[in-house]
Amino acid sequence: MESLLQHLDRFSELLAVSRTAHVRTWDPVTVRRALQWARYLRHIHRRFGRHGPIRTALERRLHNQWRQEGVFGRGPVPGLASFQALGHCDVLLSLRLLENQALGDAARHHLVQQLFPGPGVPDADEETLQESLARLARCGSAVHMLRFNGYRKNLNLQEDSLMKTQADLLLERLQEVGKAEAEGPARFLSSLWERLPQNNFLKVIAVALLQPPLSPRPQEESEPSIHKTPGEGSQALVHWLLGNSEVFAAFCRALPAGLLTLVTSRHPALSPVYLGLLTDWGQRLHYDLQKGIWVGTESQDVPWEELHNRFQSLCQAPPPLKDKVLTALETCKAQDGDFEVPGLSIWTDLLLALRSGAFRKRQVLGLSPGLSSV
Amino acid sequence: MAQESVDLSCDYQFWMQKLSVWDQASTLGTQQDTCVHLARFQEFLRKMYEALKEMDSNTIFERFPTIDQLLAKACWNPFILAYDESQKILIWCLCCLINKEPQNSRQSKLNSWVQGVLSHILSALRFDKEVALFTQGLGYAPIDYYPGLLKNMVLSLASELRENHLNGFNTQRRMTPERLASLSRVCVPLITLPDVDPLVEALLVCHGHEPQEILQPEFFEAVNEAILLKKISLPMSAVVCLWLRHLPSLEKAMLHLFEKLISSERNCLRRIECFIKDSSLPQAACHPAIFRVVDEMFRCALLETDGAPEIIATIQVFMQCFLEALEKENKQLRFALKTYFPYTSPSLAMVLLQDPQDVPRGCWLQTLKHISELLREAVEDQTHGSRGGPLESWFLFIHFGGWAEMVAEQLLRSAAEPPAALLWLLAFYYSPHDGRQQRAQTMVQVKAVLGHLLAMSRSSSLSARDLQTAAGQDTETDPRAPAQQLIRHLLLNFVLWAPGGHTIARDVITLMAHTAEITHEIIGFLDQTLYRWDRLGIESPRSGKLARELLKELRTQV
Repeated sequence: MESLLQHLDRFSELLAVSRTAHVRTWDPVTVRRALQWARYLRHIHRRFGRHGPIRTALERRLHNQWRQEGVFGRGPVPGLASFQALGHCDVLLSLRLLENQALGDAARHHLVQQLFPGPGVPDADEETLQESLARLARCGSAVHMLRFNGYRKNLNLQEDSLMKTQADLLLERLQEVGKAEAEGPARFLSSLWERLPQNNFLKVIAVALLQPPLSPRPQEESEPSIHKTPGEGSQALVHWLLGNSEVFAAFCRALPAGLLTLVTSRHPALSPVYLGLLTDWGQRLHYDLQKGIWVGTESQDVPWEELHNRFQSLCQAPPPLKDKVLTALETCKAQDGDFEVPGLSIWTDLLLALRSGAFRKRQVLGLSPGLSSV
Repeated sequence: MAQESVDLSCDYQFWMQKLSVWDQASTLGTQQDTCVHLARFQEFLRKMYEALKEMDSNTIFERFPTIDQLLAKACWNPFILAYDESQKILIWCLCCLINKEPQNSRQSKLNSWVQGVLSHILSALRFDKEVALFTQGLGYAPIDYYPGLLKNMVLSLASELRENHLNGFNTQRRMTPERLASLSRVCVPLITLPDVDPLVEALLVCHGHEPQEILQPEFFEAVNEAILLKKISLPMSAVVCLWLRHLPSLEKAMLHLFEKLISSERNCLRRIECFIKDSSLPQAACHPAIFRVVDEMFRCALLETDGAPEIIATIQVFMQCFLEALEKENKQLRFALKTYFPYTSPSLAMVLLQDPQDVPRGCWLQTLKHISELLREAVEDQTHGSRGGPLESWFLFIHFGGWAEMVAEQLLRSAAEPPAALLWLLAFYYSPHDGRQQRAQTMVQVKAVLGHLLAMSRSSSLSARDLQTAAGQDTETDPRAPAQQLIRHLLLNFVLWAPGGHTIARDVITLMAHTAEITHEIIGFLDQTLYRWDRLGIESPRSGKLARELLKELRTQV
């Protein structure tokens, strides 16, 4: 077991180095050895990927590595990034080496020979490295062609395939990081927030929060003891959002009303904070007597329409969220003086607008004008 | 060798030009043209590889100075990279360009360049900077998530297609015809990639709302090709949709079946049944439109071969498989029998479509008489309603081997006076073209033979020569005349069933079979008889054994 774990360590180092200029010093023997190690580890993953003790040991070793490198705060892992990666670590290594122009002539030639031996007898048991690489090329072209010739962005973000894929990856990574270190996810998410394009990141978080619980990967289905509770990733996200008010404010600002309603319905822990934010935003607006509308004082204030939009969307959510929102609005209205006349309290006006909107909707739908629900 | 090398040079020029025009295949025209040429280009790549692997890098560049441009252009075309094994062969060709021991910086640079191109092919064309940044930021490489991404995109597109199919009225969410056509083009190189199956299925099954066909014919052809070569597995509903939407595909499937039948061992109905079942055509034919086309092609084949017995046998096996498939179909979706045989009288169709197994054995004679009457009526009825006359009726009748092949047996088994109806039916089956008089003559001839055979069956000793004389067979009459074939079959039947038959069987056959053609005919007859007995379970152990032995012996003779 110890030799296997050492193997893992050394291979992870190798993988990290394969991207650097250090490969200049590699000769054909080094290349061959690296590929052999990769093949060995891939084989181990295939045979023992489901087997409790070995898998746990390997995972724990990887997590140790990450902790030691202080990875979570800094950036992507230089070496092996996940346990799953072992399943195709030979492809990973091959691609990194191929991309590395620092490789010497002899090493390069040897690498190419190893990766692409040409037509020959296919391996009966496992897919050869050559086949895996060809399949990846084919898959990549397929994605490219579909992306530019058929794909259309789905307006419901949570159903968009690009979004969903990113969301799945985020949840997967969070789960793994969470296993490695209890505080891992929070630090990891913070570092992502600093490094990645924020708009896209927020959307991915929203979509991730709306995904159905992660189903186990096919190869792990037979393993009941693995500690994978669905929703762990989501929990980490919610926890982080609640702990970072700046991020959460951006989250609520950037995303469309409908999406936020869905997210808050699904994760009730977020609703009080969301409502709190909305309340804050509302209080910043004042009534302009001349124009007859509610306006903000600064340019970054949330305008009336957007505020109204969000509340409207929330009122269309199923209870208990809907009831919570109405209660909050009523409370605010009461605190302001419980006016019925428009123009004095934004909460009154909002409620009026929501009610008349609902009334109109009921008219359109041919329902009796019942005001009791709003 | 020299000729091949000249050919290769010509091809090279041709493909170089094509690739330049195609560029990255981003327009409708270039995409279509690429799709049409994908298979041939792959063949060319293979030939190139065979040539290149024998040479070293310098020689290659002497021979093909622009080889690097050719290969690079191919790598930029995603359709080529996506097709079958083209990406692999391209990679192999590129590997041939590498200098084992570079002598100067130019050669070194070339090596670097090749490495770069290889990396490009494999690093997957990146798109969406945001997505790339995100996944990299998480620490994932394309190999980690591309399969998942492909799956998500395929499923999402498939469900969009389905929604499009069901939501006729919601024009906002409709898929534009251009997008559909584009999708179908893009699928052409990807047909054999299993991840894309749900999309292919959805494209076939969901036909939207336009009155004319939107999907590209290259798409249908590619799917059909993959189905025939078993490189894709689609549900039956998708295959039926394909054949309904694209007639050439159905025709090609039939031709493919014919080819297999022709090239397989002659006269083996069991094998024919396998091929037919394997082709999925019987199941597809449960849809009347497909049945009509298939039937028409069988008719053409029959006409072209002048009524070859092998074709007749194939039609009979097909009908059997078809009826079995029809039985398994969802009963609610069943079409009326009339739709399969629109030109036949319903009563005749009903009677013929009965499975002999479902009719009590004692009633078989009665049923045959009824069939005879109805057919005779149709044949002798020259009014406007009937289509095609006797040949049509005959074509209909021969579909149903269960009944058609039974007539002779029934005649031989009964000791009573042979019914005129059955005599007529038998004569009609073997020669539909005969005029009334000719047929009447044949009937008389057959009756006489039956009489003799009946008498001989009661005698204790049989001789082959006696049998031959009784049948009125001599070497001077044309052995191919239909009446002769009829009588040959009667004799064979007799020999298989009569108590003393097995003793004279071989002699009878020797006397009959003057030519190889007749021997084949006899083999066909035995094979068909055994096949039918197996299915209907009407064999007696002795007859079966005899037939099997004779068949085996004859097969070794030809």
